[in-house]
Amino acid sequence: MAGLLTTAGPAITTLAQRSEKAEQELSAATKDAIPVTLHVNGQKHNLRIDPRTTLLDCLREHLHLTGSKKGCDHGQCGACTVHVNGRRMNSCLCLAAMYQGDEITTIEGVGQPGNLHPIQEAFVAHDAYQCGYCTCGQIMSAVALLSEPVGPEDAEVKEFMSGNICRCGAYQNIVEAIQSVRQSTNRQKAG
Amino acid sequence: MPTITETATTSPIGRQTPRIDGPFKVSGTAMYASDFNFTGLLFAVPVEATIANGKLQKLDASEAEKMPGVRAIFHRANIGKIFRSVLQPPNSGIADERRPPLADDVIRYYGQYVAIAVADTFEAAKAAADAVRATYTKDKPNVNLDLQPESEPEAVETTHGRLKRLQSERGDPDKAFASAQVKVDQTYVTPAETHNPIELQGTIAMWDGQMLTIYEESQAVFNLRSVLAQMFGLPKENVRVITKFVGSGFGSKLWPWTHCALACAAARQLGKPVKLVLSRRMMFQSVGHRPRTQQRVRLGATNEGKLVSLMQDYLNDLDILGGYHENCGESTSYFYSVPNLRVHWGRTRRNIASPTPMRGPGAVPGLFATESAMNELADQLKIDPVRLRELNEPKIDEGKGIPFSSRHYLECLQRGGERFGWANRNAEVGSMKRDGSILGWGMSGAAWIAGRFPAQASVELRDDGSARVACGTQDIGTGTYTILAQLVSDKTGVPLNKIEVVLGDTSLPPGPISGGSLVTGSIVPAVFDAADNAITSLLTVATTEPGSPFGNRTPDDLAFEAGRVFAKADGLAKGVSVSDLLRRTNMRLVTGSGKSEGTLDEKKPKVSMHSYCCHFVEVTWQPATARLHVNRVVTVIDGGRIINPLAGRNQIEGAVVMGVGMALLEHTIYDPQNGAPINSNLADYLMAVNADAPLMEVHFLDYPDTDVNPLGARGIGEIGLAGVAAAITAATYHATGVRVRELPIRIEDLLTSSILA
Repeated sequence: MAGLLTTAGPAITTLAQRSEKAEQELSAATKDAIPVTLHVNGQKHNLRIDPRTTLLDCLREHLHLTGSKKGCDHGQCGACTVHVNGRRMNSCLCLAAMYQGDEITTIEGVGQPGNLHPIQEAFVAHDAYQCGYCTCGQIMSAVALLSEPVGPEDAEVKEFMSGNICRCGAYQNIVEAIQSVRQSTNRQKAG
Repeated sequence: MPTITETATTSPIGRQTPRIDGPFKVSGTAMYASDFNFTGLLFAVPVEATIANGKLQKLDASEAEKMPGVRAIFHRANIGKIFRSVLQPPNSGIADERRPPLADDVIRYYGQYVAIAVADTFEAAKAAADAVRATYTKDKPNVNLDLQPESEPEAVETTHGRLKRLQSERGDPDKAFASAQVKVDQTYVTPAETHNPIELQGTIAMWDGQMLTIYEESQAVFNLRSVLAQMFGLPKENVRVITKFVGSGFGSKLWPWTHCALACAAARQLGKPVKLVLSRRMMFQSVGHRPRTQQRVRLGATNEGKLVSLMQDYLNDLDILGGYHENCGESTSYFYSVPNLRVHWGRTRRNIASPTPMRGPGAVPGLFATESAMNELADQLKIDPVRLRELNEPKIDEGKGIPFSSRHYLECLQRGGERFGWANRNAEVGSMKRDGSILGWGMSGAAWIAGRFPAQASVELRDDGSARVACGTQDIGTGTYTILAQLVSDKTGVPLNKIEVVLGDTSLPPGPISGGSLVTGSIVPAVFDAADNAITSLLTVATTEPGSPFGNRTPDDLAFEAGRVFAKADGLAKGVSVSDLLRRTNMRLVTGSGKSEGTLDEKKPKVSMHSYCCHFVEVTWQPATARLHVNRVVTVIDGGRIINPLAGRNQIEGAVVMGVGMALLEHTIYDPQNGAPINSNLADYLMAVNADAPLMEVHFLDYPDTDVNPLGARGIGEIGLAGVAAAITAATYHATGVRVRELPIRIEDLLTSSILA
């Protein structure tokens, strides 16, 4: 995977720096901006944003955390799924200013290449994607699902994952990937 | 000394290979067009017409222009010159909507752009676009669902040049049909479908006074460059298109759409980078769709089931100005043996936006019609639909009169039937039951073109043991990054994790469009040629450059295997690795370029190249609740050699899922009052979700088709969708006794079923 470095995004460590710069530009441009403090992936961000800004647009355009995707902006596709205090949410339906003080986790906080979460590893191993655009949302839902009251059967996983549309139709592999992690977790518990 | 792990020990071709770009896709670090950000970036939101037929009377931007953060409202009077583009044969300058945006005040479809708001933030741009007041003179839009052919000459202009409407003809199909012992004469309808990739289309455009650079999720970066160069009057060298990752396209991102030119024009006017990302609603209005088709199919056969006549007369609707042709006859002339055949088509203009290719264009709606007719014929004849297909298997392509390169359709049928358990079928409608539900079984076959586009590539071997391969094609989710790495690893012995693959940029060697399932087939020879040339260059370096241990040899004395150069006389064990050789000769890299010709423009092809498949489907029907569900699908693919079976199986499963949507869910609905696609969101336009996906079993026959390329690999991106809907409607008939000939199958269609559990 080293081979793909030229196609990959900026390293996560540069994000705080970048957002500060973008912030200065923005506060000059928008006089109606309001101060908002967000806690994202364990980092505190003091922002000045348009009060109309959704959490999704705030993450993408202000914090440059672009792993959360916009697919519908209506809470219908799940590509923007993030965790707010551990629960999965469609960030396109959230106004950023309403989530001050909450712990927000995005895909960037779940795992990065070289240090992937077991669900991320399983998605790679099981080819649980094609184009990859809905994938971060699928993974955010899948990670949340691990601590939700979901029965052991595939049918239940399918139901719980049906808020995340994959137009490429990699559903069978998504279920396989999630079940492989759940089964190995159960084995570990049993062992 | 190189360690044994530094070189791949066996070829990765044909091996289940996790995608090399996977870790980026699962972590949010894969960069899609709208993820890029640049200093001073402005945001644009287009203003959509709210009528489908009429004229823009007045545009009042005064309120919008005064809003905070707004940079400009552009419209026809101030957007600057945007030129018209034309087709540059054979494969460049393609666009389904060629009218430049804002070119005149006539509104021909709902959602046509009439202005564009640009502001410092997305929120300000959206508010400004909403505040632009447009007034129109309205005429009643024509979005009539009953298609009647326009009176057009027999040869008409299309997006791809002039085509004859009489697509194929042999024998005397009318006479043979009239005297046939058994006949089917039915009309099949497929609705407008919207591609709906989850990635919204969009453009980031930058203009520096000379060079136009755009980030766009394109399935064809070189074609986009040729169109934009024309629209902005630039030498093509001054336009660069970059597409690193594409959030799929299914055809909607093949050809340029008007929002892209608007973003470029806005960037030019303001001298700043501009990001324009469409809303999901706009994705239903102005970036193409699969058009409605209406197809009359007539089959005549003997009492034994031998076809004597096949006629297909089909229509698609299209926009007022365009030339889109939905090629429903793509596979009709060669799929079955029949002495008398005619395929003829026409078009009907409507106040809708331009259609565009959608996954398996033409063949997917076309095979729904012809395979449904075959299933009806089998039922009339009371013979097994698999048997009917076996009886009509052709020996050659009877449309072109040439042999098939590699056709194993009968084996698909046999293997599929075995895996599914087809022998246990009771053909009587409503006769098969399980757990209080009625089971329905159905099947269908399909075919799809194979071949090559022209392609170029370059391969570098580097002193750190790594390789780089570059090709200006795209990975739209089909696994092209990984396939390129597999090809280079196979040739050079460099392991997959040391191969850098670079795609999606017009500064790279020109690569094929991501369309027609042709990328894999096209790039194999070009990449192999490039790798061979890099190795030749390496052997020359070995014999000429100071520091090489082979200074006293000639290139002919040397060989290259498993990443090592060695003297043939001494054997592989005494060879040196690529990295060793380059370091000793103080070289960073050797490079090779490769190219291959296309096959699609051959005037007189010697063989007929296609992929084949069949689907066996089980549905359950619960009469009490009128619930129809697709339980399981067995699919067998004759797609040549499969380079990555892991991604390959996924492609076919994904296509089957889309086929479930096509059969049961998908339908873009135009409001007859105002011409708007009214279900223009993902809650009202239903697509298959995880819970809708059946249990899928996919088998590849894996017969190499070496007429396509040396590996024998054909493409498989589209074939898996073709035929699914016909198999599902056949299974539905078997369960319910209701024959559905217009998609999608609706609950209300099935309420007439008299079958009880």
